[in-house]
Amino acid sequence: MAFTVSEFEILAEKTLLFLMVIDKDGKLITMNQRCETIFPFSKKEARGKSIIAFLIDEDASVMRQTLSSLTEENSKQNIRFRFVTKDKALVSLKIDFVLNTQVIYITGIDTTEEDKEHASLITLSKLTKTGAWHFNPKTEELYWSKECYHLHNLDTSIPITRAKGASYYPESSRAHVEHYLDTLITTKNPYEYTEKITTENGTEKWVKVIGNPVLHDDEVVFVNGTIADITERHLDVEKLKSNEETKHLALKGIRSGLFDHHIEENEVFYSHDFRKMLGLPLDIDFMPEETFRTMIHPDDAEDALKRHYENLEKDGNHYLNHYRLKHLEGGYRHYEVYGYRKKNEENKTTRMIGNLIDIHQKKINEKTIAENKNKLEAIVNNGFVYTILVDTKGVILMADQNSLDIIKHDYDVNPIETECRFIDVMPVNFKNIFAHGFNRACQGELVRKEVERVTHKGAVQWLEVKYTPIVDTTKIISTVLLSFHDITERKLAELATKEAHIRAHELNDIKSNILSNLSHEIRTPLNGIMTISDLLLHEDQPSERKKLLKYLEESKDRLLMTINNLSNFSESETIKEYLNYSNTDMNYCVETSYRAYRHIANTKKLQYDLKLDESCPTAHIDSDIFSTALNNIIHNAIKYTPKGSITIAVFTKPSKPKNIYITVEDTGIGIQKKNISKIFDPFVQESFGLSRKYEGTGIGLSLSKKYIEILGGRIKIKSKVKKGTVFTITIPALL
Amino acid sequence: MNVLYVEDNKINAIVMDRMLSKDTSNTVIIAQNAIQALKLVTRQPILDLILVDINLGVDQMDGCELLQKLRRLDITTGIPVFAVTAYAMPGDAKRFKKVGFDQYFAKPVNFEKLFQSIDKIKLKK
Repeated sequence: MAFTVSEFEILAEKTLLFLMVIDKDGKLITMNQRCETIFPFSKKEARGKSIIAFLIDEDASVMRQTLSSLTEENSKQNIRFRFVTKDKALVSLKIDFVLNTQVIYITGIDTTEEDKEHASLITLSKLTKTGAWHFNPKTEELYWSKECYHLHNLDTSIPITRAKGASYYPESSRAHVEHYLDTLITTKNPYEYTEKITTENGTEKWVKVIGNPVLHDDEVVFVNGTIADITERHLDVEKLKSNEETKHLALKGIRSGLFDHHIEENEVFYSHDFRKMLGLPLDIDFMPEETFRTMIHPDDAEDALKRHYENLEKDGNHYLNHYRLKHLEGGYRHYEVYGYRKKNEENKTTRMIGNLIDIHQKKINEKTIAENKNKLEAIVNNGFVYTILVDTKGVILMADQNSLDIIKHDYDVNPIETECRFIDVMPVNFKNIFAHGFNRACQGELVRKEVERVTHKGAVQWLEVKYTPIVDTTKIISTVLLSFHDITERKLAELATKEAHIRAHELNDIKSNILSNLSHEIRTPLNGIMTISDLLLHEDQPSERKKLLKYLEESKDRLLMTINNLSNFSESETIKEYLNYSNTDMNYCVETSYRAYRHIANTKKLQYDLKLDESCPTAHIDSDIFSTALNNIIHNAIKYTPKGSITIAVFTKPSKPKNIYITVEDTGIGIQKKNISKIFDPFVQESFGLSRKYEGTGIGLSLSKKYIEILGGRIKIKSKVKKGTVFTITIPALL
Repeated sequence: MNVLYVEDNKINAIVMDRMLSKDTSNTVIIAQNAIQALKLVTRQPILDLILVDINLGVDQMDGCELLQKLRRLDITTGIPVFAVTAYAMPGDAKRFKKVGFDQYFAKPVNFEKLFQSIDKIKLKK
């Protein structure tokens, strides 16, 4: 049953469809009210107006072509046209055309909203090179969006089937690609894979395929999916991988990994090495950046992130960051990131390719080095007076401040700034000893040497230099440490001890000699006394007894003299208290002593002379002890003069009227220079031991000196070995 | 028995002569120094004993040097030489024996021992 006219009228006006009747040129014959929303005229004014004039340019030609190609047998459906309304809005209509008796009937439906969505989807699809597909497992029907066709360079008019879709994959992967889909249908789990395809025109492309199940009654009724062309990205990845490989070979041993961060997509590709280094799963190329961030040490995260954003915004293309990352073996390790940023036209970083380097060992080494350096510096500046580290060429690598100061002071060089050899900045007299020690140290020997140094202030400094060869990990001597220990105090003490030892030894010798001399001097007359006593016991002849008694007297006298000298000496301190000063005529006093020894001198056949000075003033002295002093000197002179002369003189010097001089000059054996100071030591005789040829205790001269000094005078000696000696006594004159 | 006594101290020389001469078979010849002693040795070939003082005076050859000279002479071969000296400190006896003296007598001389030694020499003859 057909519509009534009135029914149809209502239907035509109330419908949401746009209804028009036009002629073959596109001019309106009539239209329903709905069309007023797209045209700037009313239904009544519509007749004769061309609809083509209100189409966008692109669609106008399509309209003309459509109208001209219409036949009564061949109507057109579902053609989209976009009209521009009076307020410049765009309205899309999907139109069916029917030609009947030269008049065209148009039925249009508003698809503006869907079109907008569709258009943006297409744009997105095009831009991302991603196509959509769906598959009906019941009917095995496969639908491909246009982009899918484009991706495969396939004409959109060709129907797609599952087999056709699979044919683009290489034979090797075809089976498991199919398997993904079958698995999804049974397990209802989504899948994702990246594979290579060969398109219609033979181009090879890398695609990422995602499949998602749509369930109804817990059964997969539909599979929605996308397919994306990731060739570019994949090639980047591959390039990176190959770069990585090259780099890996180049930097064998350095722990580093490459990554490619697509900032817009918030996806990061991590190289194989990178993932291995951090213990990330090896089968996933891309990973959201957040995953990575969770691995950063909590203490470093904030700063690292701050640096990260600063890096992305700064000028240029470089990227630099550092942080600790969780290591797959547990704990955290130090890493540094060096990157290159790719920017878009708006100067925004879109991509960053970087290299993550494991600097953990470096950090630890740095720390160790810093620690060791501190330690070394502490040692260098505290342990020894001077410490110098030189390499095997003798070039100074390091030195303590004191050494640096000295070198700077003496040679005006700073070895830390200017390369210089130690041997070039030391006093000439050290060079030999240094070279010797250094060469031995370079051969691995620990060498110690003592040197005496004079500081620039003139003080003597004794140093013990230790040459310590330092071996590196390959057991090769790399450096030599010279440490200088100040042993001045020890050395001085040693020298003092040595001197004291020598002195003690000497004193000991002197003591033995004194005892030996005393013993000899006592035993010689004692031998006479004892033997004579024995002889007297058995001697009856009075003349013989008389002789013997005379010998006994002589021996006794000699023994007594020795004993007296000894006691005189020991009593010399008390003598001072009992001095008997008187004005003494020196000529008379000296002559008395001269006479007392004339007999002995004559016995030895010595020339024995006396020279007096009549003008000599008197002296205020104790004449007894003066005579004892002079007698000892005269006796001594005779004793040590085997031949020649003894001259005793008294004189004054006009230049020194306060003094009276008495000299005793002999032509005797003389005294060695080194012994002159010793002869006044009590008990010391100039020649010792078995080679001693002279009798006497040796007390004499020291006693003379003591007495003369008590009287306010002095004794001086001038002597030449084998030529003779002059004793000069100076006594103050009484004025 | 002929004894040469080298001694610079007159009294000691005389009293030694007197002591040894108590035995009338002994003849004592005195030398005041080493040079004299060496001359006497060559002139007096029949010597049975030589007694030598060590300290022989100012600038003179001492007893030890004299001994060495005597030892070099053929004439004195086999004649015992005794040191008679006032050097009598510990170690002196050893030293003089080391120099080559056959015996050592410290002054004052223990004549009992000296005579014993002389008797031994006589017995050997």
